Amino acid sequence: MDKQTILMDYVKKELMKGRSANISASDDLLSAGIIDSLGVLQMVAFIEERFGFQVPDEDVVYENFHSIQALANYLDKSS
Amino acid sequence: MVYLLPQAVERAAARYPDREAVRISGQSLTYSQLMGRINRLAQVLIDQGVHRGDRVGIYLNKSLESAVALYGIMQAGAAYVPLDPFAPIARLRFVIQDCGIEHLITKETKLEQLSELLAQPSGVKCVIGVGAQPELPERCFTWDEIYSAPVDTPPGVGITEQDLAYILYTSGSTGDPKGIMHTHRSGLSFAEWGATTYGLTHEDRLSNHAPLHFDLSTFDFFAGALAGACTSIIPEALTKFPASLSKLMQDERISVWYSVPYALIQLLQRGNLASRDLSALRWVLFAGEVFPTKHLRELMAQLPQARFSNLYGPTETNVCTYYHVDQLPPDSDEPIPIGRICENDGGLVVNADNEPVPPGEVGELLITGGTVMHGYWGQPEKTERGFYRRKTDSLSEEIFYRTGDLVQLQADGNYKYLGRKDRQIKTRGYRVELDEIETALLSYELIEEAAVYPIPDGEGSNLIEAAVIPKQNVNLTSAELETHLAKRLPSYAIPAKIIITADFPRTSTGKINRRELQAQAAALAESH
Repeated sequence: MDKQTILMDYVKKELMKGRSANISASDDLLSAGIIDSLGVLQMVAFIEERFGFQVPDEDVVYENFHSIQALANYLDKSS
Repeated sequence: MVYLLPQAVERAAARYPDREAVRISGQSLTYSQLMGRINRLAQVLIDQGVHRGDRVGIYLNKSLESAVALYGIMQAGAAYVPLDPFAPIARLRFVIQDCGIEHLITKETKLEQLSELLAQPSGVKCVIGVGAQPELPERCFTWDEIYSAPVDTPPGVGITEQDLAYILYTSGSTGDPKGIMHTHRSGLSFAEWGATTYGLTHEDRLSNHAPLHFDLSTFDFFAGALAGACTSIIPEALTKFPASLSKLMQDERISVWYSVPYALIQLLQRGNLASRDLSALRWVLFAGEVFPTKHLRELMAQLPQARFSNLYGPTETNVCTYYHVDQLPPDSDEPIPIGRICENDGGLVVNADNEPVPPGEVGELLITGGTVMHGYWGQPEKTERGFYRRKTDSLSEEIFYRTGDLVQLQADGNYKYLGRKDRQIKTRGYRVELDEIETALLSYELIEEAAVYPIPDGEGSNLIEAAVIPKQNVNLTSAELETHLAKRLPSYAIPAKIIITADFPRTSTGKINRRELQAQAAALAESH
């Protein structure tokens, strides 16, 4: 599975908890209220575990985490 | 004279017409521009049938319109009711119907949820902030239409300081949220206390971290306007990223910060504070929950330029005690006190028989004074239960709000907070009634019994856990229960973990032993 699919799977199964059924890779996860501050932390932990990549605090910013696509792009660039 | 909340903006617009009143994401409004927009919105609302005392909903992501909406509604003589922009539709519909909202203020970004919300009859007759849509009521106005209205003078509605100004809905133990009513007087009492206590001036830049439906936001807007200061509204998305947030604090040159401790702990731990220039910061205010002393000590060491203050008060009282944290003992992590009663309030500590206890003994804190709410919307009995009346002479009485919080007066004159009398808890700064979550679980027909309890997260806050017993021969998954709850509760009230089990520990009378469940879960959490 590519990164985007893995991330999408994680967001749907673990973070959305049944809220709004459909999301796309480019949807804004924050404005739609799909992930909250705890969700961001869970996401960082998941990335570190699944991809073995330590996300530095200064990279945990809106620009890198606002959508699944943005996150996949960030991971491609950094890892 | 300022006896109504929008008059604070009027006064600032006269004194500082060209100074910025609100900012967000690089956009801003001066006091004069804000005042013009408030008056135009108020006039349109009045033209559309809003009367004194009506409730007008605000369904917005944070934006410049947040400020225009809340003041514009009050300027029209109505009370604003902020709706959580991320709440489940069913919960929004409940609030709209509970307080009879006919006019709703929103933006295009909420159109999808709005269509779903108004697809069923809700009572909403007029929507401001979006153009005409087939699913929406006939009367819709865009912001462009509002802002191009010719009149920008105050509509002049005859209201007094006793009129309703805003209603904040919080978690209620019966399963439905309850509306806490504040008047112009109670809002202003708090704002005046805040502006004085923290010495706010027109040169200050206040953060607005909290959402509008959370009472911390009233300080950011009301106390800010009283001083003619600028309020920097922080977009919801940025509040989730400590590194983005600390950059915003720096770039906006925030001088007075106000948030829940959770946000500050995040900033401390992941915000790279050391790399930011926060030289403008002079006050860090926090409320909503206990700030664990070890983190507060670290934060104070990181930000030596700022003073720190702990504000305490249920939404029903705005804020009623405060404690300036000037020094922390280096060798003790004893929780900081909630401090002294605000100068414009009075306090009383009573035992279970409503008798005042001697200083130093534990009792429930009761609060009287200008900051106290008017009551719960549409619930006279609940309101009466929330108050304690004491005759001062044959004609007069003092009315106190029962906080439900247990406190103890220390020798140094500060109150210490000891916990709740009931089953209300805080999770990451949000107030949650555990019984409301149980009620929501029990509304799922495949559930026989449910218990909800808090698990301390070791950071001074709580995580919520639930245990349920399914009906006989039913297979339940925690995922389907989460889906069920997500339709009824805000996301912060959804348990972090739901355990499906065959039976609960019981007391000798057969009642669910929630204490034991909690102890088991805490022990399990510790062993990991």
